[in-house]
Amino acid sequence: MTGSPRRIALLGLAVLIAAAVSISFGASGLGPGDLWRTLAGDADPSTRTILLQLRLPRAVLAALVGGALGLSGCTFQALLRNPLAEPYVLGISGGAAVGAVGVMVTGLGALIPWMLPLGAFLGAVAAMALVLEVARRASPGGVDTRVLILSGVIAGAFFNAVILLLLTLADLESFRSAIFWLMGNLSRADWGSIGWLVALVTPAAVVVLSLARAFNLLSRGEEVAYYLGASVQRVKLTAYLAASLMVGAAVAVVGVIGFVGLILPHAVRLAWGNDHRLLLPASFMAGAAFLLLADTVARLVVAPAELPTGVVTAVFGVPFFVVLLMRGGRR
Amino acid sequence: MKGVVLRGRGLAFTHPRAEEAAVRGVSLEIGPGRLLAVVGPNGAGKTTLLRLLSGALVPQAGEVSLDDRPLGELGDRERARAIAVVPQSEASPFPVTVREMVGMGRYARLGPWERAGSRDRAIVDRVLERCGVAWLAGREIGELSGGEGQRVRIARALAQEAPVLLLDEPTAGLDLRYRMELFHLLRELRADGLAVLVITHDLNLAARFADELLLLQEGVTRARGAPGEVLSREILEEVYEWPLRLVPHPGPGSDVGAPQTVPLRRDER
Repeated sequence: MTGSPRRIALLGLAVLIAAAVSISFGASGLGPGDLWRTLAGDADPSTRTILLQLRLPRAVLAALVGGALGLSGCTFQALLRNPLAEPYVLGISGGAAVGAVGVMVTGLGALIPWMLPLGAFLGAVAAMALVLEVARRASPGGVDTRVLILSGVIAGAFFNAVILLLLTLADLESFRSAIFWLMGNLSRADWGSIGWLVALVTPAAVVVLSLARAFNLLSRGEEVAYYLGASVQRVKLTAYLAASLMVGAAVAVVGVIGFVGLILPHAVRLAWGNDHRLLLPASFMAGAAFLLLADTVARLVVAPAELPTGVVTAVFGVPFFVVLLMRGGRR
Repeated sequence: MKGVVLRGRGLAFTHPRAEEAAVRGVSLEIGPGRLLAVVGPNGAGKTTLLRLLSGALVPQAGEVSLDDRPLGELGDRERARAIAVVPQSEASPFPVTVREMVGMGRYARLGPWERAGSRDRAIVDRVLERCGVAWLAGREIGELSGGEGQRVRIARALAQEAPVLLLDEPTAGLDLRYRMELFHLLRELRADGLAVLVITHDLNLAARFADELLLLQEGVTRARGAPGEVLSREILEEVYEWPLRLVPHPGPGSDVGAPQTVPLRRDER
């Protein structure tokens, strides 16, 4: 535990730097100097507007979503004792997207704003229950890592089809909105949705962080955790719901962005070990910094057009996943 | 740490989808300063019995109690402060250090936001020392040998400071020296006032170290009592379905005369 505060502070600094980079670069050609002048209070109004009304909310959104995805990935890994577990790979993000699209096409989303995150949350929970149950039945005598991943990927493919079907049938279909739900981006950043995200992610994150020591026990196996005094079923249920809430909230605002919850917790594990008291907050912050940078890349590579941020995270995430999978196979 | 008595009365359990009961009508009691060895053939129900006594399984008949309080009334943390268990095996894809592993034993003594204090660290140091693994404190679990790993898991159980200690085949896969050291450690813990239950296949060490033996056969108690009473040729040949002889331990020392089991070869029958 010694050294943890310094490591968290280090990651905090990384998030701030990533945020500064994200705000400093964009299609309009404004740069780091303009950020500095805005902070100092002597920038012209249009510069201020672009930085504070467009780029700042987008950066805050990226940090929140990246953090929520990093933390939920780490949570699923601890609960399933599986380093490959991640909301996108497990099909949970896809389930959340189906829930959100379902709310949209029924018109409920337009009537009642909180229906969208609720639909996404319920979609995430349903997808998780489905995938875990399929994996459990397909591998008697303990859930097999690769069976679990396979179930998740199959469920994800199914959810993608459902999303396209719903959008087409409901005639809501514009090509852009389909892309948004299949491969998310942060272009819808505004302070309203950030408020939603903060309100949902904060309590869920606090709950998960309070379970850090129970996660340490659970990652030794459920029976061991029980003997050491963990209330295994209660911890699992609470953590699954909290992680699903984070995934659902993120997907409702930015669509499906994969692999953040895979890459960052793993990098933190490699550097600093598997104590969840450090690993959980570090995964949140590393996820935040990573998504800030990934989103900056997404805005810049084809400027003035934009890539979906999910494309950038997948470009990093898929090779990473393959390496992890091959390592697991050797074990 | 005050002594408590763990009691199982008329315990029965049938696993889901199993035809036969794994444990039927087993009663036992372990109190402070006692070392009970549970022996019996593979599949006799030893591990199921341990899980019933630890609360991991709920008996379908009978009751487990701790100082006359039904085990089910205790919360998870409270139970872990009273009963520590060293299960047969554990595996994790996430390696931790020996010190982190043993520190997990303090879980039931800390609140969710409470950080381990100097007393917790002192206890971790003490049990690492006691189990002879202090020099491994910074190592990762995966790098340890079987004997070292087993002692780390026992250290973690001791860090719980529970008056009752249950161990499931702690000597499996260990060499002669580690097995002897482990039984000596169990005897020291018993001398400290712990109630110790150990499942083992090593009848000879059980005969020398345990105060009492419980011999299980197909889920029922075949014999229970002092090692000299339980270990008889007639009983063992019938339970293990194999011819054998019992010879007295040659000494030197206090074990002189303890019954030692010598299984016969097929051509010696």
